[in-house]
Amino acid sequence: MAVLKRLFPVLLAVTVAAILVLPSFAQQTGGTLIIGRGADSVTLSYYATAAPDSEVLAHIAETLFRLTPDGKIVPHLAESHSLSADGRTMTIKLRRGIRFTDGTPFDATAVKWNLDFFRNPANRIQFQFLVSEVTSVDVVDSNTVRISSGRAFVPLLAHLTHDFIGMHSPAAVERAGGMQAPVGMPYGRAPVGTGPYVLKEWVRGDRLVLERNPNYWGPNKPALDQIVWRVIPDDGARVLALESGQIQVAVRVPPRDTSRLVLNRDIRVDRTSSLRTIYMAFNNQRRPFTDARVRQAFNYAVNKRAIVQTILGGAARVSDAPIAPGIVGYAPVMTYAYDINKAKQLLTEAGFPQGLNVTIHHPSGRYVQDAAVAAAVQAQLRDAGINARLVTMEWATYLQVTNRPVEQTDIEMFMLGWGTVTGDADYGLYSLFHSSQWAPGGSSRFFYKNTQVDGLLDQARAITDPARRAATYKQAMGIIMQDAPWLFLHSESQITALRRDVQGLIVHPTERVLAYNARVGR
Amino acid sequence: MSRYLLKRLLLAVPVLLGVSIVVFTMIRLIPGDPALLMAGQAATEEVVRQIRQSLGLDRPIVVQYAYFIRNIAHGDLGRSLFNGAAVTEELGQRFPRTARLALAAILVALLIGVPAGILSATRHLSWVDTFFMVLALAGVSMPVFWLGLNLILIFAVRLQWLPAIGHETWKHLILPAFTLGAASAAIIARMTRSAMLEVLRHDYVRTARAKGVAESSVISRHALRNALIPVVTVVGLQLGTLLSGAVLTESVFAWPGVGRLLVDAVLARDYPVIQGAVLLIATMFVLLNVVVDMAYAVLDPRIRYE
Repeated sequence: MAVLKRLFPVLLAVTVAAILVLPSFAQQTGGTLIIGRGADSVTLSYYATAAPDSEVLAHIAETLFRLTPDGKIVPHLAESHSLSADGRTMTIKLRRGIRFTDGTPFDATAVKWNLDFFRNPANRIQFQFLVSEVTSVDVVDSNTVRISSGRAFVPLLAHLTHDFIGMHSPAAVERAGGMQAPVGMPYGRAPVGTGPYVLKEWVRGDRLVLERNPNYWGPNKPALDQIVWRVIPDDGARVLALESGQIQVAVRVPPRDTSRLVLNRDIRVDRTSSLRTIYMAFNNQRRPFTDARVRQAFNYAVNKRAIVQTILGGAARVSDAPIAPGIVGYAPVMTYAYDINKAKQLLTEAGFPQGLNVTIHHPSGRYVQDAAVAAAVQAQLRDAGINARLVTMEWATYLQVTNRPVEQTDIEMFMLGWGTVTGDADYGLYSLFHSSQWAPGGSSRFFYKNTQVDGLLDQARAITDPARRAATYKQAMGIIMQDAPWLFLHSESQITALRRDVQGLIVHPTERVLAYNARVGR
Repeated sequence: MSRYLLKRLLLAVPVLLGVSIVVFTMIRLIPGDPALLMAGQAATEEVVRQIRQSLGLDRPIVVQYAYFIRNIAHGDLGRSLFNGAAVTEELGQRFPRTARLALAAILVALLIGVPAGILSATRHLSWVDTFFMVLALAGVSMPVFWLGLNLILIFAVRLQWLPAIGHETWKHLILPAFTLGAASAAIIARMTRSAMLEVLRHDYVRTARAKGVAESSVISRHALRNALIPVVTVVGLQLGTLLSGAVLTESVFAWPGVGRLLVDAVLARDYPVIQGAVLLIATMFVLLNVVVDMAYAVLDPRIRYE
């Protein structure tokens, strides 16, 4: 007893110290995270087409698999998967015991409903092509699904990570009155999934509020009470709102603001590479760009590193392949050195010793510093004797004008970007460089045709061995870079600014801000 | 007077019909395909065609217009091509926000512009006059987004007195109202000054002064009321412009109003939203014109409408 009496003050001091110190090591939970972004979501359904939709859907309607920021595909709602030897059948084992937030079970029947809806051409889903090779989806048992394709289609696994193919509650879709083309209403206003958050409020053009799902199945329980996306169209105002503390995250920070923000001790600047590649494409079926030497000359004449450093503030990466790093199948292939003499030599060999004139179309405000980049390209081409006239137009007109068939278009050269949002090289390469994909039927607006590249891209779709598949893509990209159907420019970086007390936020290369593991410190 | 009012309101119908035809046709003539925009860069031609068909955009323009007029008769302005939201619902949510901002901006403009104009006129050619006119020049020349961003920097970031963005409370209204009202204040100040200078030259003002009436009464009771007629015209026009939405201010302050809605709809070629918003704005202008005419009759007893 006497010992206890002597020890008591010590024990008391230790206990008080523990009470004071320990909470700072405990995980902070609760609170609201406010993210400022430039555009609102349009629809939270299978008819989603852009990042503002997919980043919200990622928190509500989870996918069978996930693409990690470093490019790995990991099971999520799925527990495991296996592929048949011929690559045509994928068997997926689902996790057990998961329910949608409306209480209905997430099981093989629900997965079949979702995938059948998505791939049904009658539903006219814009991204239906992601699963267009699938011929049937079968329920093997309550937690096993078999997906069959007409031919081996290895990119399917990557496509199943896409947030546009999240799992929605079939019962909720029916209760809401369906998911009608072309925007997925009325269900698209109030989605129901298995995710860590549920939709609480959506005031269009203003704010979208998610609140915590207290019954979330996953091991990483949602820490925040609420996540709020606020629409702040002006880039400068968005940054100022962050500096004032009214929001905690600002996306798409202009490069010019980063030097000021890094000096603010309350703010942290994050740079994450994006899967979006920016390029200027040549009309490969129109003189003078039918000659590879002319296309290569343009690549030698432009100093891409200088453009990245001075115009983009270092927030980009010079392209060394037609697709960006982080994409399955990417490999560094080559860059064109800045060499004016080489450019002039190639032009002379191609029959243009005095240089040539060209018209370059470019958007304005669509991509980071797009107009400034075009002006820089114009100035640099002049040194090689190439006189470029710049033409710009607003996006809707630009999209239409650059989408004409090869026999109708008079576009010579134009700027575009492509985000390989599936994280798989097939989407970035097949869609653009396979000769079957010429616009307006497909996405290739520059009419490139190389039968060897076609063959390699067709083969790569069916190769199940990752190493062989990667080697095939590397070979195809080597030919593409040599052929230079583009003036290869850069892949963008995303600049995101956060208050320092925000932890666990993921800025994904697919241009989504993911807050399902985020916390706000006190 | 009430017959006149009724006649003016009835005349509004053909005006609005004409506006609807013009905007309906014009937006379909400009380049840009809403179906292609919705489908996105990666979509195939077949998907674009299907979207166009599901939106009814493949029908002849006359048929589309007929459906549009029929729906308006039922109070239905259609649904947004892009997000499926009812246009009446969208406008119903956004217009009150725009109205709140516009009225606050006009109040700021009047509170600054009218006294500034009076002071300039009564101290004509003095340093006071010069000061206010230079201020008015600055107000009309300053880019709205520049002024707005600087106000946010000073009052929201540095001083932390006011919120940077948003529209929820009266505090959110101060900075955008001031930003939007600055240019209107400048115009009203200049108009008030000109009108006052004109009125102050009249014999009845000299008579009032000769009778020993206090200068403040000369200004407020004799001169100002007569000088207000052109000012009321300007205020009416300014209010009409502000009610049509101030897209730059709305963008800077994240104020989800009609201006931003209309610009986004034009960029997206969202035909029903463009048509609905333009019709709303045209209606506002028509009604405001009537209100301004009525105000003339109140200000000037000589003006009577039959």
